[in-house]
Amino acid sequence: MVALETPRMNPIIEVRHLHKQFGTQVVFEDLNLDVYEGEVLGIVGQSGGGKSVLLRCLNGLERYSAGKISFFGQDTAQMSGKDLRHVEARSGLLFQDGALFSALTVLQNIQVPMREHISLPKNIMDELAYLKLALVGLPANAAHKYPSELSGGMRKRAGLARALALDPKIVFLDEPTAGLDPIGANEFDMLIRDLQRTLGLTVFMVTHDLDSIFAICDRVAVLADRRIVRNGTPTELTKDPGHPWIKSYFCGERGRKAQGTAQGS
Amino acid sequence: MASYDQPEDRQGGYSLMGTKEKAARPALDWRQVNDGYVLRIFGDWQVSHVRRIAKEIKKLKCGTAGAGPKDLTVDMAGLSGLDTAGAMLILDMNELLKSKGFMPHIINVREADQILFDLISRHPREKAGNEAKSSMVLNLVRDLGSTVVSIGRDIIEITAMIGQVTQSLLGLLIRPWRLRFTSLVHHMEHAGLKAVSIISLICFLIGAVIMQQSVEQLRAYSAEYFSIDMLGILALREVGVLLTSIMIAGRSGAAFTAEIGSMKMREEVDAMRALGISPVETLIVPRVLALVIALPLLTFIGNIMCLAGGALIAYQVMNIDLQSFVERLNDGVDIRHFYVGLIKTPFVALIIGIVGTLEGMRVQGSAESLGTHVRASVVKSIFLVIILDAAFAMALTAIGI
Repeated sequence: MVALETPRMNPIIEVRHLHKQFGTQVVFEDLNLDVYEGEVLGIVGQSGGGKSVLLRCLNGLERYSAGKISFFGQDTAQMSGKDLRHVEARSGLLFQDGALFSALTVLQNIQVPMREHISLPKNIMDELAYLKLALVGLPANAAHKYPSELSGGMRKRAGLARALALDPKIVFLDEPTAGLDPIGANEFDMLIRDLQRTLGLTVFMVTHDLDSIFAICDRVAVLADRRIVRNGTPTELTKDPGHPWIKSYFCGERGRKAQGTAQGS
Repeated sequence: MASYDQPEDRQGGYSLMGTKEKAARPALDWRQVNDGYVLRIFGDWQVSHVRRIAKEIKKLKCGTAGAGPKDLTVDMAGLSGLDTAGAMLILDMNELLKSKGFMPHIINVREADQILFDLISRHPREKAGNEAKSSMVLNLVRDLGSTVVSIGRDIIEITAMIGQVTQSLLGLLIRPWRLRFTSLVHHMEHAGLKAVSIISLICFLIGAVIMQQSVEQLRAYSAEYFSIDMLGILALREVGVLLTSIMIAGRSGAAFTAEIGSMKMREEVDAMRALGISPVETLIVPRVLALVIALPLLTFIGNIMCLAGGALIAYQVMNIDLQSFVERLNDGVDIRHFYVGLIKTPFVALIIGIVGTLEGMRVQGSAESLGTHVRASVVKSIFLVIILDAAFAMALTAIGI
């Protein structure tokens, strides 16, 4: 690492010239994106524009046709199986509805990555799982409940606890506030912000919730026309949209309102 | 906004990957200095080293402080990496030392690490006890009780479902246009037409096997000719019906449970109710009715294939041609056996359809629940089919048919 660089400028993920297509439908064309250490990066874009596909590509759940994705400076395509497992252990993923394993209790769900990637004594694993449960703001009596017995917001929290089980460097969040009521969504935003600050996390967040963008995102990357057309702070993008979609997104009625709320608070 | 910026000095010790830079082994160093104690912490206290950390803490030979609290300095200068797991273990260790009469105070702690310590102390780890562990005998009694209760509930619910379906069917007599005709035909195709090949195949093979075995056994009495009578009665009365209905219970009963169950999981059934559509009328009646129509037809095909299998073996083993086989069948096997077999099929179909759809309606939110109910559906419908068949066999024999 170069000493002159500030820690903020270390890209954890570099995406270069990513190309992806389903059949004849091109999803990404020459897509470039950097995710820097310690930032909250929001990905916005039209629905059906490939935000979730990008997240899945980054997590190795979807193959891409051409291009390069590097994690921690290493090309994922060149990595050995062991290195890939290491990267997996260093990154957490929260699916839209939590994607908890329905046959396991919340506590067992949180322990799945611990069992899979490292071997821990049972008592310490329990301690750790209860700690993560407390960190995401779930009551202890949720530990032995099954996902079907939880509300949507609690499922997301439990999913986040599972994503944080191994103290990842980076967490990927897919629409973290979708389907939550405004109070719940705001609480979840603050939770992400808190954990990101205290744990030094990098957060990669696919969202279309303008409130969370203005509340917690350091930087926003806009996915439109099959590539990242612009990125910058939410305020920069509002001042100088430079793309018709960004203009209608940030400078529409809802965008202005969300910005007003964020500045007011 | 600056608080998440990590201090420069962390860069040296923290590796992003952990593979490229050599990880520092976590270690503890305990020594007595003058009248106080110093505990120095080294290395990476991270989740991947938890086993080693636990060992180090166990190895710690501090004894008890004896009389009066003793000062303990916990020096974190050597700590090169820390995450929540490590921080939790350090805090737990401090608690342990406190309980032994030491007064730990931490020095040389990095700002970022302090944030972690604060975060963890802010979130007390409450624990919820697991369900109380009970003895094996108690478990056995409880399982027995819950099985009895669930059998009772099954009887009630199956009866209730039969009632609901009957009510719906009677309603259809008055308003026949309310019958979901498309759905009915769809299920007849899937449960009936598409099962023809597999049912023909197994019935043909079983017919051949029965014939071959009975010829072998009856030859000792030079009565192999009667094996045709035997096959005829057996196939028409029992084997055709049983084979077909067990196959359909496994094939269509399970499919019904899975279809309705997954609709239940995605709240589609509730959506129907909310829209004022009766799930019994739209989901259950077409399926049950489709089976009631399809199963007799399939059984007929099964019967014929069973006899065909027998005829093949009769030709092979006894050199009886098809015409003589049919003549023998006509002489030896009364037509009532055929009716006895066929009269059972609508009832069997009703049982399979009702159990399959009922189990589907019982599915709860999880994928595991779906699996449990599909399994229960197949087991229960096959069991009930056999019970029903036995009841028919006894009743019909008793009245001499």
